Amino acid sequence: MGLSRREFLKRTAALTAASYVGMNLPVSLEGEAQAADADSWHPGTCRLCGSGCRLELGVKNGQAVALRGISKSRTNFGYLCMKGMLFYKLMGQNHPERLKKPLYRAKKDQPFKEISWDEALDIAAKEFAKAVKAHGNNSVAYYGSGQALTEETYIFQKIMRGGLQTNNVEGNPRLCMASAVGGYLTSFGADEPIGSYDNFERASCFFIIGSNTAEAHPVLFRRIMRRKMDNRDRVKVINADPRISPTSRISDLDLVFEPGTDLAMLNAMAYVIIEEKLYDEDFLKNYSVFRKGKDKKQVSFEEYKKFLSAYTPEKAAQICGGNITAEKIRTAARWFATSEGTMSIWTMGINQRSRGVWANNLIHNLHILTGQLCRPGADSFSLTGQPNACGGVREGGGLCHILPAHRLVKKDKLRHQVEKLWGIPQGRIPPKPGYHTMAMFEAVNQGKIKAIWINCTSPAQSLPNCDKYIKGMARDDVFMVVTDIFPTRTTELANLIMPTAFIFEKTGVYGCTERRSQLTRKAVDAPGDARPEVWIVREWALRLSKELNDPVIKKCVEPFMGKEPDYELPKAIWDEYTQKLTKDRDNDLRGATYEVLEQLPDGVQWPAPTKEFALKGGTDIKFVRGIDPLADKHAKNEMPYQFYGPAHPDKKLWIWLRPQKGPQEMPDAHYPFYLSTGRVIDHWHTSSMTGRIPELMRANPYAFVEINPKDAEKMGIKPGDMVEVTSRRGRNILPAKVYVGPCEGMVFVYWHDMYSDRMINRVTNDVWDPGSKEPEFKICACRIKKVSGPKPLKPFIVQMKS
Amino acid sequence: MPIGGFVVNLHPDKIPEGLARLEMMEGLEIHGSDEKGNVVVVLESQTSEQMEEMVKDIMAVEQVLSVGLTYFNAEDEVEKIKAGTYVPERSFGRKPLH
Ligand code: SF4
Repeated sequence: MGLSRREFLKRTAALTAASYVGMNLPVSLEGEAQAADADSWHPGTCRLCGSGCRLELGVKNGQAVALRGISKSRTNFGYLCMKGMLFYKLMGQNHPERLKKPLYRAKKDQPFKEISWDEALDIAAKEFAKAVKAHGNNSVAYYGSGQALTEETYIFQKIMRGGLQTNNVEGNPRLCMASAVGGYLTSFGADEPIGSYDNFERASCFFIIGSNTAEAHPVLFRRIMRRKMDNRDRVKVINADPRISPTSRISDLDLVFEPGTDLAMLNAMAYVIIEEKLYDEDFLKNYSVFRKGKDKKQVSFEEYKKFLSAYTPEKAAQICGGNITAEKIRTAARWFATSEGTMSIWTMGINQRSRGVWANNLIHNLHILTGQLCRPGADSFSLTGQPNACGGVREGGGLCHILPAHRLVKKDKLRHQVEKLWGIPQGRIPPKPGYHTMAMFEAVNQGKIKAIWINCTSPAQSLPNCDKYIKGMARDDVFMVVTDIFPTRTTELANLIMPTAFIFEKTGVYGCTERRSQLTRKAVDAPGDARPEVWIVREWALRLSKELNDPVIKKCVEPFMGKEPDYELPKAIWDEYTQKLTKDRDNDLRGATYEVLEQLPDGVQWPAPTKEFALKGGTDIKFVRGIDPLADKHAKNEMPYQFYGPAHPDKKLWIWLRPQKGPQEMPDAHYPFYLSTGRVIDHWHTSSMTGRIPELMRANPYAFVEINPKDAEKMGIKPGDMVEVTSRRGRNILPAKVYVGPCEGMVFVYWHDMYSDRMINRVTNDVWDPGSKEPEFKICACRIKKVSGPKPLKPFIVQMKS
Repeated sequence: MPIGGFVVNLHPDKIPEGLARLEMMEGLEIHGSDEKGNVVVVLESQTSEQMEEMVKDIMAVEQVLSVGLTYFNAEDEVEKIKAGTYVPERSFGRKPLH
């Protein structure tokens, strides 16, 4: 009997889900003569967070109509989250608001006019050339994104450095990942995690700190949850955060501390590990040293012990507040040290701090002390928020101080290597790093940067204290090009907008959190006249070369001439980057050619120097002989682990003496609350929320402020009331959500709202970590005040006025 | 009318209560469950925004630990977009994705 189309699709959906958990359903599709659910299926990577979930896009009549997970993929085993589900709507012809034509205006108060690509590229070339001629090479800048493909970041930075001779190359990962980079380099001598996601299935203790994994990385959380639920007595989960979140649903121990006190807590855990002799003496002796201070002075174990005496669990409990007791710290330390494999996981709660690098160091310290590294289940693992912060920006040379393949700009030898590989004259790349993100936008404010290219990100909304930087971007003497798929708060400040292709509308590689590179090939056409960035940059560079009468700029794109933009061009860029630039570097990707990536359901983890090795998936644990080919190659002795990271000449892991340091701005009489910010809209606690307001929560594209019920009572604030949140920098007016999420004395605001009264980055603090230059988004001081009862709100999205 | 295939994970100690809560939800069909708390669920909704809301409602159920999407089909919705009878919300543009 024939099924209706809907019944057919529902059965397809049910059978797919059932196959994932090995369940037999009493239905089948055998003998069903139906048009298939899609004409073709195209493998690729979800671009909406850093997990790197693999999926197939179903295309029918040239349009994206369906999605299914790839069950053989080692990142997600076929599972996706809701964000992943909805992105088909942004693709191809599916969204009416996509940017489709280049738009231009000479002055920022004029309306935009549609222009041709030729005109757009000419204008971009002329304006950048004009700035360079009149104000020097450092008057131009590129600000990119952890959402750009690796090929895009690579070619942009090549033109900026090799062509325009400036290191003013930055990207939004500075705002979320920089402290993790700093932590890995200073603790382990090499950027990026040692292990892989497969530790989720092998760990016996999870130490989750500063990460609401359940919401921010739901698909990875699923793996942790499964591990815990299948081994409830054996696996412990510790959740450390100033805010109770859905992640607590699987935790054995919740450590709720006051914002900014975690350094004391981490030091106290180290204190317990040493006091109770839970450390791994052999590991310490063989692989580590203790260091302190700016000059990285080596110190003794005794000195470290003495340093820690300021952090007894009792003292730390007093500093940490919240629900922290000395006994809780002891329990956490014991579980951490004695489990068969402990995996730490963190995100922005640790990174976005004025001492974010230190916080990273202190987590790594615990792993080094206890030898919880390099073996199954043991890892110190930072999660990324964006799909290509690691692959594109950290590895591809997307920050002001690094060149492709983890080379430091300031090292002459490494810089000259790059110049040679690019076939450009020695000395072409300037020896001085460019402006880091916050300095870059400060330079825009001061009119020092005359032309800036912003790709695939919206700093007008995402920079802390954004009002201050919007003023600079709005200057008429700052020429701004924005390449993006939608109008944003930043396109509102642009002179020239170029419409770009979205994922699955172009070809390229993303590198996710676990050092894994994955290819997504074009499957549908971009709408209107939108083009892939790699084509835009190549064409722009050719024109720049003419404008500046500089053949070296042309030389930078010569290897890419004549290639069609949808596949051949990105492939040529990827080949140059991997075969030339990553050769013999720690992220050696020579084995991960497009041809190899296309054969694998997920992708390749570097180092992967050969195709044969890459075809097996690459390196799942770095530094281990017999697993990591570079550990064998660089081996200095017979030891099983070889920490060959380029940043540590002694080839050791470094345990750091780092004191407690609070946020730069502490609550005081005028601004008595901590303000923390985060990224996910959640409904998790709605059932337990005091006084749910369905209408308010239903249409949820706008932000609200979360207030602890005790504080709300004191302030006379009821759920849904409009509340003013004010800091020294700016204010927001948001509806209140009253519930036991944030601890007392703290309020929490999501940062996704584009409506100007609810753009929380008008309130956040733009101080930054002196080591990583990452701003302290997570904590500042504010005051709150009820301004009215509930008000109906409308979601707000930037529209194009042309 | 989008259709989604999901594996919902219930807390293994709270399977009957969790199933009872799920059964009450509109637009949700349970196709099978096991002793680990895996539940195979199909959701059907008017729009994909609505399905997103349904998933959030499922996540708000106390006994639910995670919701994993495995299959999603929106061919009807795409037809409507083409015909101009449905304009998808842009639930995100270029908001910060940190
Ligand atoms: S977890 Fe991240 S990568 Fe995976 S489907 Fe969701 S948004 Fe996409």
